[in-house]
Amino acid sequence: MLAVKTDKLTKNYGDFKALDELELQVIKGEIYGLLGPNGAGKTTAIKVLVGLLKKTSGTAQVLDIEIPNKQIASDIGFMPQETAMYIGLTVHQNMEFFGKLFGMTKEQIAIKEAELLKFVDLEDWKDELVQNLSGGMKHRVSLACTLIHEPDILFLDEPTVGVDPKLRANFWKYFNKLKENGTTVIITTHYMDEARNCDRVGFMRQGKLIAEGIPNEIMKDTGTDNLEDAFLHYATIGEASDGPTPDGGGE
Amino acid sequence: MDLGRILAVSKRVFIDLKNDKRSLALIIIAPLFSMAVFGLAFSGEVENIGVIIVNHDTGMDIPIVGDVDFADQVIDNIDHDTLDIQESDDLVTAIESLEAGDAWAVIYFSENYTANTMASIIPFTNASSEIELYIDMSNVNLAEAIIIEVNSALMATMEENGGSLPVTVERTEVYGQNAEFMDFFVPGIVSFAVYLFTTLLTLMAFIGERVSGTLSRVLATPLRESEIVSGYALTFSIVGTLQSIFMIVVGILAFDVMIEGNILLVFMVVALLAIVCQALGILLSSFAQREAQAAQFLPLIVMPAFLLSGVFWPLEAIPAWLRPASFLVPPSYSITAARSVMIRGWGLDMIWMDMVALVIFAMVLLTLAVISLKKKG
Ligand SMILES: Nc1ncnc2c1ncn2[C@@H]1O[C@H](COP(=O)(O)OP(=O)(O)O)[C@@H](O)[C@H]1O
Ligand SMILES: [Mg+2]
Repeated sequence: MLAVKTDKLTKNYGDFKALDELELQVIKGEIYGLLGPNGAGKTTAIKVLVGLLKKTSGTAQVLDIEIPNKQIASDIGFMPQETAMYIGLTVHQNMEFFGKLFGMTKEQIAIKEAELLKFVDLEDWKDELVQNLSGGMKHRVSLACTLIHEPDILFLDEPTVGVDPKLRANFWKYFNKLKENGTTVIITTHYMDEARNCDRVGFMRQGKLIAEGIPNEIMKDTGTDNLEDAFLHYATIGEASDGPTPDGGGE
Repeated sequence: MDLGRILAVSKRVFIDLKNDKRSLALIIIAPLFSMAVFGLAFSGEVENIGVIIVNHDTGMDIPIVGDVDFADQVIDNIDHDTLDIQESDDLVTAIESLEAGDAWAVIYFSENYTANTMASIIPFTNASSEIELYIDMSNVNLAEAIIIEVNSALMATMEENGGSLPVTVERTEVYGQNAEFMDFFVPGIVSFAVYLFTTLLTLMAFIGERVSGTLSRVLATPLRESEIVSGYALTFSIVGTLQSIFMIVVGILAFDVMIEGNILLVFMVVALLAIVCQALGILLSSFAQREAQAAQFLPLIVMPAFLLSGVFWPLEAIPAWLRPASFLVPPSYSITAARSVMIRGWGLDMIWMDMVALVIFAMVLLTLAVISLKKKG
């Protein structure tokens, strides 16, 4: 039922708590938006969950497996915040490389690659070196590489940065399609407007989840008409009471 | 470890190198350039060293034999390619020229040179003859060449006159008959180039992987740290071997370097060295945060090998207390082994110690490289 479950998950950088007893639960098959301003701890949370950072304390399960565990690597798709592509390789060579890391055959890769390049609208750039692409295009290649092995759970760190609005709409359409196929999608963004497309969102601040819920309900509960204001609402309460309000519906 | 993933990494590194014109230039052009520079500059012996000869020898008129002039004979026996001879009558002016830096040496034969020499040949006399050599020692190489040349001319003259030195040195060349500087230099520079470029290229590639985030990205896939290191090792051992084949072929065609032993042994040694070096590059990259820092590692990579590997001069030329440090410089082993194979014609039975040393280096550095990649924040 749960794709991700954390219990008092904490990550310290020296004395600084980047994750402060985070309690995060993502339901299998949903699109979950992890929202919050820069520095809230979104990237840190994702990196701990995909096994790139060591947690300081607490526990976390991804797809019912206690992490860190290399076993889940083949089931997850991770798109880092930075583009992280091999710029000296062509688009095709990058996709083939990532496909092979997941043990895909050349044929499997070719089929999936064609589909994904169409989706990110880069069919004509297949044999171009990634270093010759614009920032937004690199980002699209990066997403395509994340999706190549049809992961069960996706961790997308700011996937829509630098992507134009039309393509952004396409992205969301595709995420919904993945969801229909049973994929769990966890997306971080600091664009609050597009977070409406998520099934549920969680607001992060100072390494904690300060509120969580279905976007429409959150707006209704806070009496706002956008998630930006809703976040500000919770953030102010949080400061006033100096404590988290873990459940957005409780207001 | 999964072979498919290792091959995927290996191929990726290969493509990256192939697509990057800078790396290609580093791998191919730089070693060629260094070979050309050294090959042409040190194409063997020094030549045309300017010397001034002042010959005051009056010779001797011996009954029956006729006129004898030993000084002239010595001068004739000097190799005029090595020494560029200028004659002068006046010793004082000649020495002034020497002091002015116009010549490297003045060779002076006194009036009685022949007479004294004759006297010294006669048994039971204490007579001796001297060639006076005024020499500028500020360039040791040239000075040595002059001294050697004068000595051998002298010996040749003695032999011509039937008088031989009481003790002679009989020389049998065990290894490296007719070996020239390039025969010594090529096996060295091949290893040195492979060391330098493999270390540097992996260092740069890995700093790039860390900075761009590709390293952490692939580590979130099933790919393991040991597979990354193996993939890099595979590619760089192949690239290192190709690089050494290329350089040795150029060495043969352009400088006719000798290959007495089995050249495959040389390639094996170089491939081993490349594996050591790529592990070193990965390890060093964990100490660098930014791409620009690669430059700071350059002296650290170049200097010890330059000084201590024996590539440009023999290890015997460095101070004895510093020599043990050369055991810590991996190219020393491959340079020694490659020279022994190429010049002495040695086989595996003789160079296995160097190979074992490289294997130990490889195992230690590969392990450390994997550990450094496993270190998480
Ligand atoms: N390696 C690190 N060392 C020290 N502090 C870090 C490190 N990485 C991130 N941080 C800090 O942790 C906090 C959370 O960062 P991050 O997870 O990247 O936030 P977000 O993704 O929400 O913008 C920030 O204040 C950031 O400065
Ligand atoms: Mg972030």
